[in-house]
Amino acid sequence: MKRVGKPVFWIVVVITLLFTTLSITGITTQYGDVKNVIIKGVDQIRWGIDIRGGVDVTFTPESGKDATADELDAAAEVMRQRLVTLNITDYEVYTDDASNRIIVRFPWKEGETDFDAESAIAELGDTAMLTFRESDERDVDGKPSGVTKETVILQGADVQRAEANYGAIDNTGKAEWYVQLKLADSGKTAFADATTRLAGKDCISIWMDDTMISNPNVNSAITDGVAIISGNFTQESAESLANKINGGALPFKLETENYSTIDPTLGTGARDAMVLSGVIAFILVCIFMIVLYRLPGIVACVALAGQVGGMLAALTGFVPGMNSFTLTIPGIAGIILSIGIGVDANIITAERIKEEIRSGKSIDGAVELGYQRAFSAIFDGNITNVIVAIILMGTFGPPDSAFATLLKPLLFLFPASTEGAIYSFGYTLLVGVVANFVFGIFASKYMMKSVSRFKCFRNPWVYGGSRNV
Amino acid sequence: MFKMKHKEIGFVKNRKKFFIFSTVLMLAIIISSFVFGVDLDIRFKGGTMVDYSYAGEQGAVDLEQVSEIASDVLGSNLTVEEKFNKLTNQNGFEITLVDNDGVSSEVQGDLTDKLQEIFADQDIKQLSITSVNPTMGKEFFIKCMVAVLFGSLLMILYIGIRFRKIGGVSAGFMAVVALLHDVMVVFGTFVVFRMPLDDSFIAVVLTILGYSINSTIVIYDRIRENKRLYGSTKSLGEVVNISVNQTLARSVNTSVATILSMVVVCIVALIFGVNSILSFAFPIIMGLISGAYSSVCLASELWVTWKEKREKA
Repeated sequence: MKRVGKPVFWIVVVITLLFTTLSITGITTQYGDVKNVIIKGVDQIRWGIDIRGGVDVTFTPESGKDATADELDAAAEVMRQRLVTLNITDYEVYTDDASNRIIVRFPWKEGETDFDAESAIAELGDTAMLTFRESDERDVDGKPSGVTKETVILQGADVQRAEANYGAIDNTGKAEWYVQLKLADSGKTAFADATTRLAGKDCISIWMDDTMISNPNVNSAITDGVAIISGNFTQESAESLANKINGGALPFKLETENYSTIDPTLGTGARDAMVLSGVIAFILVCIFMIVLYRLPGIVACVALAGQVGGMLAALTGFVPGMNSFTLTIPGIAGIILSIGIGVDANIITAERIKEEIRSGKSIDGAVELGYQRAFSAIFDGNITNVIVAIILMGTFGPPDSAFATLLKPLLFLFPASTEGAIYSFGYTLLVGVVANFVFGIFASKYMMKSVSRFKCFRNPWVYGGSRNV
Repeated sequence: MFKMKHKEIGFVKNRKKFFIFSTVLMLAIIISSFVFGVDLDIRFKGGTMVDYSYAGEQGAVDLEQVSEIASDVLGSNLTVEEKFNKLTNQNGFEITLVDNDGVSSEVQGDLTDKLQEIFADQDIKQLSITSVNPTMGKEFFIKCMVAVLFGSLLMILYIGIRFRKIGGVSAGFMAVVALLHDVMVVFGTFVVFRMPLDDSFIAVVLTILGYSINSTIVIYDRIRENKRLYGSTKSLGEVVNISVNQTLARSVNTSVATILSMVVVCIVALIFGVNSILSFAFPIIMGLISGAYSSVCLASELWVTWKEKREKA
């Protein structure tokens, strides 16, 4: 390799440290209340629900029902919509056709301390059969009876869309919350007939399975396919009803198969502890490397900082628009392992340089040979870890991800179950190894070759050799 | 720290001692797994586990009463345990229900409502819940095993190709044997400290697999290089011993650096009382020690034994 110029060291150091600092702090601008993220920092990391707390549910269609892939997708779409209405935007929803499952995960919102997870799960899974029935006759158990049982006016699929609105609906001009229904063509005639018949006389009841969720009076005949349900709604109850009606178009019922929730207070403590120990460990490792290897130790610290920055950037997405990745406890294990491998790469090289110096090589020769000879060991070690990472991402990732497709011929015997936590391990390990190639091998080589030409570093002692006076 | 002098340590010469030590260790782990029993987390075997916190002194909530209420709502076969949470500094209890099909969220909500109603003064709060269907737990477990198995096969294959000059596949196989040793040590740590095998176990095993194979490969790489250097002037045992010694400083220093970091994590987790991290960081330390030991003292020594046996035959 050609000689590397002196300024290269400073250029690599400045770029690496700048990149790492940015990946930690990020850049945001503030215009009034609007925060504008230019570069995403550590506070933009999406912590997994095992750290931050949250909900993890697996739904499956009611027993005996084998839903088609389209049906599952439709159900998942409904769930996404519901999550957004619950003001949860940070969710993951996967469908798994092979095992007939829908997996939903979402963390708590920032600052959330009192969230009723049970009702949220119930509301998500509450994709029951929606019916509009005549009158509101009920038996002692609250189930439909008499004419209400017999006369079904509309079914879920007849409703195109329901939405909660706020505004004046009658002549008084008083604004209130109401639910607006847009009917599909299939339901227009039936609804028009029924409302003409019942206007001013009776009510229409709306049912979720055998549970009545509303029984509005019919004030006038509705023939244009747009109906309004009003009366004593709050924003919340109006949105909830609209949401239930929208979700009611589902072709089947869903049951919860697995679920877990973790309280947010348990989460933040774990997160803070993890960050603190990461900082302390990094400082200690740096001290250890510098004491042990002197100049190569300093180079190693810069390279490690770059590697950490690379992993953080891969987790946050760095620039807006790039996808961020959820970090779980196994994900942190992946970070630890890849930093371990990164430290190892630097130690292997530094040991090799030391060895060459001791065997009497010149400083330039030792640095050149050190990197050259250390490379094959580092390469093979890293590649085996890439193999591990890819297998994990394929086995435990979303069923439609690139890695899962790659491994499909081998894993076809096993239903695709998404285990987000372990997927995260694979991801952090993979990006950690890539970052190690970039910083631990290439950046560190250029820094070392450049810095070794500085006059003050022409002494073998700074490479771990004996003092040459 | 560790300075290499000209003296060589006879790793290959003393390999029998290492083999005996490891065999005894493995036997001890297997025996203790029978003595202590292997506790699978409900993530794998299915069941439900709910954690609650309550205000006031320990014992302010009568656990027997809780047990009765929970039995009414969830069915029998459950245990209730006192559990102090260091993180939130609150007393609490944990209800565990095994051998069931998972509890639906509605039923779970009923239980919480009932407990809150009866112990109104204690401000009962649900901290976490895990409810797993047994078939899904089993599937997850099998999948983990398949991933590990498949990963091992690919590693043997990769080492086989990259190290074909020194008889790769058998070297790869011995590297995997050393990995198995490390997995057993991690397993033993969980068994001896009575920690249920859960997803931290899987995370630890994966981390150790990656770490240990990396260490072994560094040594194999040196063997590959020295084989080229010495050709047939030195016996295989000698070449391996030289290689292990030459890489010893690296093995020790890397282990010190990684173990040091994990000790920091452990101490911080202890101070903050974060059990989820502690139950992960501590077994990793044991695995790292085992990984360093198995790479230096087992993998290439086993391989020498294998090769020598083959030559004699």
